[in-house]
Amino acid sequence: MRPSDPRFPSPEEGLALHVRLGGDDPVASAEVCQTYLAPLLGWLGAKYPRLDPHFRQTAAHEALMAYVQRPAGYDPGRGDLGAYLRMAARGDLLNLLRREGRHHNNRSPWPAVEGGEVAGNLSGEDEEPSGKLIKDEEAEACRAFLSDVEQRCTEEERRVLRLMVAGERRNAVYAEAIGVTGLALAEQNREVKKVKDRIMKRLTRGGPKHE
Amino acid sequence: MSDPLADLAARAAGEPFFLASLLAAFARSEGLDDAGLAAALACPPGKLTLLRLCRAPGSDPDEFWEDVSRVAEHFALDAQRLAEAVKRGRVVVRMQAARPAAGGFLLAARDGEGEPPNRPPEE
Repeated sequence: MRPSDPRFPSPEEGLALHVRLGGDDPVASAEVCQTYLAPLLGWLGAKYPRLDPHFRQTAAHEALMAYVQRPAGYDPGRGDLGAYLRMAARGDLLNLLRREGRHHNNRSPWPAVEGGEVAGNLSGEDEEPSGKLIKDEEAEACRAFLSDVEQRCTEEERRVLRLMVAGERRNAVYAEAIGVTGLALAEQNREVKKVKDRIMKRLTRGGPKHE
Repeated sequence: MSDPLADLAARAAGEPFFLASLLAAFARSEGLDDAGLAAALACPPGKLTLLRLCRAPGSDPDEFWEDVSRVAEHFALDAQRLAEAVKRGRVVVRMQAARPAAGGFLLAARDGEGEPPNRPPEE
C-alpha cells in the first residue's frame, strides 16, 4: 500500500532526521514527531478505517515516542524511516488491540470492526506486492544516499557518521572514534561537535528533495 | 478530536527524555497554565507543542548550555528564560522523586544543587 496524503518524507529526509536524532540536536525529536505523525495517522486511517481513531493515534504516538528515545532500533541499511515507523505503529496497534481484547475479556474489538482482517494485516508486512516494491525502492534510495554521503566524507567523518546512524549518543564514544580522548573533556566535546556539524552540512546539501 | 501533535506533547510530559517533562514540572511549581507558561518563556503559544517535544538538555554544564541555546535559537526564545525554567523544572522533578524518603524543607534547602551555573550561552 502506498502511503498517501499527507506524504511521508523522502528516504533521504528521513535519514537526515535520523542522523540528527542520533547526534546531539535537541530539536530533532520535535521535528521527527512533527514530520511523521500526520503521515502515520493518514496511513493508519487508510489501512484501518473502521478502527477507533483513538487506537490509531495511540499507536502512532507510541511508535514515535519509542523511536525518538531509542533511535538505535532503526537500521537505515534495511529500509526507509517511514517504513520502519509504519511497521512499528502497526505492531503497537496490534498490541493495543490485544490489551483491549484482554481488558474486555472475550469482547475483542478488532475482528468485528475490521471484518476479521485486522489480525492478518497487522501481523505481517504489507500484503500487496506493490507495497513491497516501494519499500525495496525506498530502502535502496536510503542506502544509495548514505553511500553517497559516505563517499564525500573523510575517514574520520565516516566513523562519526556510522555512529550517528547507529544512534550513538555518548560523546565519549565519538571522542574515541576521532582520537581526541587525550584532550580535556570540553575540548573533546568541541572537536566532536565540529565533525558532527560538518557531517550535517553534507547531509543537508547532499539530500535531494523528494519529488 | 484534539490536535494529535499536542496530544503527543502532553504524553511526552511523562517521559524524562522530553523537554515537556521539565516544562510541566516548572509550570506546576509556578501554577501556570499553557498561556502562563508561554508568557513565562516569552514563547508564542503556537510554538509550545514543538518546544515540549524537544529533547531535554544534557546535564553536563557545557552540554546544557549548548542544548538550551540550540533550542532557544530554533524557536527564537530567550535562552536565559528557557534555562531558568528547565533548571527549576529539574529541581522540582528531583524533589518529587526524593519526597518519599526525606522532608520537603530539607530538600528545598538543596534547591538548585547540581544545576548548571547561571551564565549566558556562549556565542
